[in-house]
Amino acid sequence: MAEILRLENINYSYIDGGYERQILKDLSFAFEAGKFYTVLGPSGSGKTTLLSLVAGLDTAKSGKIYFDGKDINEIGLHKFRRNDISIVFQQYNLISYLTAVENVMLAMAETDNELPKDKKNVAYNLLERFGIVRSKADRMVNQLSGGEQQRVAIARSLASNVNLIFADEPTGNLDTATEKEIISIFKELAHDFGKTIIVVTHSDTVSAMSDQRVLLKDGKLTQI
Amino acid sequence: MNFINRAIKNVSRRMSKTVLLILTFFLISNLVIIGLGVSKASESAKILTRQKMRAVVTYGLDYNKIWQYADSIEDEDELEEFYNNYPRVRLEEVSAFLQDERVKTANTVNINMWYNDSQNSLDFVHLNNQAEEDIDSNGGQSCWYDDVTGEQTCETYKNPLFLIKSNMFPDMIEFEDGEYQIVSGRFYTQQEIDNGALVCLISENLAALNGVSVGDSITLAVNYLAGYMQQFGVTAEDLENSFEVIGIFSHNQPITPDAPNFNYCYPYENPDNMIFMPSTTIYMAQLPMQQKQFDYYAEMYAGTDKSDDYYNDPANRPSEENMESQMYINDVTLLLNDPMEVEDFVKDYQASLSQFASLSANNEEFNRLAKPLDTLSMYANFIVWLVIINAIVIITLVTALTLKTREYEIGVLLSIGASKFKVIAQFFIELAIVAILGFTLSVVSGSLIAKKIGNTVLEYQIASSEVSQDEDYIYNNNGFDPWNTDYTTDISLEDLVAEYEVRISPIIIGEIYVLGLGIVLISVIIPSFMIMRYNPKKILMNQN
Repeated sequence: MAEILRLENINYSYIDGGYERQILKDLSFAFEAGKFYTVLGPSGSGKTTLLSLVAGLDTAKSGKIYFDGKDINEIGLHKFRRNDISIVFQQYNLISYLTAVENVMLAMAETDNELPKDKKNVAYNLLERFGIVRSKADRMVNQLSGGEQQRVAIARSLASNVNLIFADEPTGNLDTATEKEIISIFKELAHDFGKTIIVVTHSDTVSAMSDQRVLLKDGKLTQI
Repeated sequence: MNFINRAIKNVSRRMSKTVLLILTFFLISNLVIIGLGVSKASESAKILTRQKMRAVVTYGLDYNKIWQYADSIEDEDELEEFYNNYPRVRLEEVSAFLQDERVKTANTVNINMWYNDSQNSLDFVHLNNQAEEDIDSNGGQSCWYDDVTGEQTCETYKNPLFLIKSNMFPDMIEFEDGEYQIVSGRFYTQQEIDNGALVCLISENLAALNGVSVGDSITLAVNYLAGYMQQFGVTAEDLENSFEVIGIFSHNQPITPDAPNFNYCYPYENPDNMIFMPSTTIYMAQLPMQQKQFDYYAEMYAGTDKSDDYYNDPANRPSEENMESQMYINDVTLLLNDPMEVEDFVKDYQASLSQFASLSANNEEFNRLAKPLDTLSMYANFIVWLVIINAIVIITLVTALTLKTREYEIGVLLSIGASKFKVIAQFFIELAIVAILGFTLSVVSGSLIAKKIGNTVLEYQIASSEVSQDEDYIYNNNGFDPWNTDYTTDISLEDLVAEYEVRISPIIIGEIYVLGLGIVLISVIIPSFMIMRYNPKKILMNQN
């Protein structure tokens, strides 16, 4: 399969109590397109830091990250976030004064990617695909359950028509049944729609359902 | 769902916050409207009153400066030299002012009182009042004077009948601003002024009474043949001249019997009996009389102790050749095109004036009367600025505090690739919407309150500033004063107050919106810096 994301010699550290704490050390790894990855690792191993680097929310001290063969710094982190990736958070990160469908349309408004003209209908359809019917799609997001909100967040991540989706503990706040449901959606996205899904998780259930499990330990990524 | 839509939805769906902000802007705007309304009303009352005043600037000599200078000269010869070359207003100085495109015309008015001739009496326009009855019954008033021999003599004094108003330039302020209008013929030309041509303009009533038309001639006497005149050898012919009527005018100052002092109004005080002619014409008409008087004294004083350089110098003998040097201009009134240009005009020339010259906008009285309005305007502007500064502080604080609670939303927007500029723009639009709503609501209430407060404050201001005004003497009627060469407009505090009207004009409403958006823009600056420093990773990590 084609490579979609490559990390080369990534180093990341921060100052903690006057001491430099090295989180990622000469980390190199390649993610393939159309696969569902889970990144595992003990607490404090740097999973979220890694996610923020590959999602263009932060920059490494050294090393390079390539998306589709292009350095994401050259693409521009802002543009990269807008057009090439989506992120799903544990807390859903929806905007409370907007309805579910408006939250989905939010991502559509920002991207430069080509999208169908009837954006609202596309948003409704996306939500419907993830089990959010129209009557619920028009509700304010805080009137939806946790699982429904996470589905809205996933729908939003797909709305901008990107190929790489990151998720940080996306099922952390959900019950087991909903967790399985959400992971099925991720699998479906990877296998049926060719999206690359990289999920940072502690959950064995989630990692067990992924195509590829990757362990972050001692600042390096290794396939399990 | 672009940032404009997001802003609209945020405003419409967070009603309690929106209502509170609208209320804040409503209160701010009411105060600004009151301040601006009062300030504008004060300013516009001053402008409107100033526009109603004649746009005149006076140019003349500053006699205080002259006397002070003369007092400072200790050497007698030097003092004599100073008096021999006494400062004068020069014709060329006035002509230079007329080159300025802001100047319409100049008045260098001389007033003379003349008589009808001995033969074909030109009748004057009668008022049939007490003054005329007195003239008819006693033929004039008795008068004592010292004759040339030093003896006191008494003879019957004849009342002059016509007021001769003359100018050095081919136009006059009275005709420029419509107080007098030429109904037939024309005004005198520069050439006629230069030549001292015997031409004149008379009133339509005087013309009708005497059956005179343009092109006809009238005979006037520069004086009556008094006893002392005859001593000089002056004859009736020397005093009389025939003048061609080149223009007939109408005026807007008719004298009516209900006028104050009507009964004491002499014929020459009736504007119908006023005659306009060039100043040089007056000189030429008086020339035979002046020459005989000069020759008489020159001969009498020759070889005596009373002989002095004046009568020995032929340059001092009145003559056509000496006319220009012997014609004096006391002061000049310049009429400008626009009353609002008066102060700038004076400022522009002030620095280049000669040592003893004075140029005045004549606005001392106006400024004194306008003081309550100035004070009111100053306080109103102060309130406006105070409110604006407070508004900026309050709105900045509210926005900054709101920002803290919306960090999460900003983090989400930045994580999906929204630019920081768009985030700031959204905040600006949100505030602008509530500001516009608050300001729109305040337009009605603000204008009502502004009127009430504006009038009350002005009344208080006038009462506390105790502006006093001298009562003008009412000369005869409708403000017509035959002797008056002061062309400045008398104004009263009532004139200013009459123009004072607190009105919330579309301009003020426009200013309110511009100010409001300005407040919003400035209020967003500090929060914008906060947003620019936001790191989406930090925000979202904290959230998660």
